[in-house]
Amino acid sequence: MSSNDTTMTRTTASVFNFSSLIKRDRFAGLIVILLIIAALQVASLFAPDYIAPPPLLIAEKLWTQILPLWDEILVTLIRLLVALVFAMVVGTVLGVVMGMLPGLRPYIRSLVVIDTGIPALSWMLIAVFWFKEPEIRIFFIMSVILIPFYALNVFDGIRALPKEWLEMCESFRPSRWQVLRYLILPHIVAYVFTTTRSVIGYATRMVIFAELIASAVGIGAQMGLAQANFDIAAVFAWTLLLVVLNILSQSLVAVLEKRVLSYRPEVEVR
Amino acid sequence: MNMHADFSPVETQEPAILIDQVNKQFGAVTAIENLSFHVNRGEIVSFLGRTGAGKSTALNLIMGNMSPTSGRVRVMGMDPNKDFRKLRRTISVGFQTDRLLPWRTAIENVELGLQILHYHKAEIREKAREWLARVNLADAADLYPHELSGGMRQRVSLARALAIDPEILLLDECFSQLDHVTSQTLRSDVSAVIREYRKTCLFITHRIDDAIEMADRILVLGAPARLLLEVSPTPEDRTDRDKFQLLHDKIADALGVDS
Ligand SMILES: Nc1ncnc2c1ncn2[C@@H]1O[C@H](COP(=O)(O)OP(=O)(O)OP(=O)(O)O)[C@@H](O)[C@H]1O
Ligand SMILES: [Mg+2]
Repeated sequence: MSSNDTTMTRTTASVFNFSSLIKRDRFAGLIVILLIIAALQVASLFAPDYIAPPPLLIAEKLWTQILPLWDEILVTLIRLLVALVFAMVVGTVLGVVMGMLPGLRPYIRSLVVIDTGIPALSWMLIAVFWFKEPEIRIFFIMSVILIPFYALNVFDGIRALPKEWLEMCESFRPSRWQVLRYLILPHIVAYVFTTTRSVIGYATRMVIFAELIASAVGIGAQMGLAQANFDIAAVFAWTLLLVVLNILSQSLVAVLEKRVLSYRPEVEVR
Repeated sequence: MNMHADFSPVETQEPAILIDQVNKQFGAVTAIENLSFHVNRGEIVSFLGRTGAGKSTALNLIMGNMSPTSGRVRVMGMDPNKDFRKLRRTISVGFQTDRLLPWRTAIENVELGLQILHYHKAEIREKAREWLARVNLADAADLYPHELSGGMRQRVSLARALAIDPEILLLDECFSQLDHVTSQTLRSDVSAVIREYRKTCLFITHRIDDAIEMADRILVLGAPARLLLEVSPTPEDRTDRDKFQLLHDKIADALGVDS
């Protein structure tokens, strides 16, 4: 995965109250969207439709041609969800093992670091060679790409665990499992959420990419089809849909995060 | 009361805590130098010493977090470091800072030790409630640590230490972050509980007054930790102003503090 593809926030989960920021951002976002639509409209006046389709045509495509393909959209979303949950579980386990078993740490760490150095495209091509079944290809690609993010962030979370808390917990003479259950797992929940929030956009792009290469169903495959048919308006419409889906999924994670981590104090930043 | 299968009551004739010719080095730093003392069962002993004297280090040795460079540390006749798990439920610690877990409410924080000791669910809740009420925090049970004041947090942390009903209570300056009035009320509450249940208690403090008021015996430590003076305040020392002052000055002299 190329490192400039997504900027990972590996700091402690932020405890800021974003709501005031979000309000300001929404307004700015609206203006930017209007400007993009205007620019597209202007461009469509000068360029042929197969280069810059007018916004209205894109909207029509979206409504008549793309939304009826809801089953393809659903397939992509399910693939994304399954891979994300799997990577979350495996990555968290690896991170916890790295944090709690110092003997295994260097080995897992090397493995994870090597993995992060392998470009997503290599994994996609390898997956096509290795597996016949498209679902397995996509699942494999997504997993190897996403697991390191969770593993490294969870490991960092455990390293950031205050020593005082551990000492306090150990003063009751717990077993290793009890330390894991009562101290480490609740502590890393915040890190898992932060990772999900920062990785979900990247994961969406990767699943589309993987579908384009490895599958005949799903949004990525449909976009490939549109491209093959020189249907640029459909490509634009799919893109629009993806942007919307991305924003929705990110807000969903943010809402979940807020609920689960409701114990944290809200800090107003002026 | 003893619901727990892997706990067997510790029955020995030895003192609750025994420190025998203990040395502790951290690299080139000597934290404890040839320290010997003991704490009998049911006794309240206070540790007085200047900052950096090695008080917390001694406490860590008794907790079993580390082992001494040389010498012998025994808690109920056992090595707290090697027999770490055998001393479950025997020792409990009140720390210098409250160390509450932010994702647990006040009552859930009190429950931590009980959960680790595998108490039954209903009993965990009941005991936690009881102890929160005893530190006057019954109404704050469902508040998160960030919603509590510093004094309330410290009281929750004391309730957490006391809730497992330990035989030995180690307190490391756990009143020193509170204002004078709160600290005094809490101190008398805690000493009442300790005396009522005949607990063994070793508490660290840098306030001479606290030590005289609470302790059966006071150990004054120099730096690195070694015994400078050992006194047992009498009831008159606490009530008689002149005697109190006299004892205070004696301790202050030993500590090398101007009074
Ligand atoms: N884990 C450690 N590693 C290295 N040095 C340590 C460690 N713990 C304590 N020391 C050193 O041992 C000495 C005694 O420290 P300790 O914390 O026991 O003092 P203290 O009497 O509790 O002081 P205070 O009243 O300020 O809490 C200090 O010089 C300290 O730097
Ligand atoms: Mg200390």
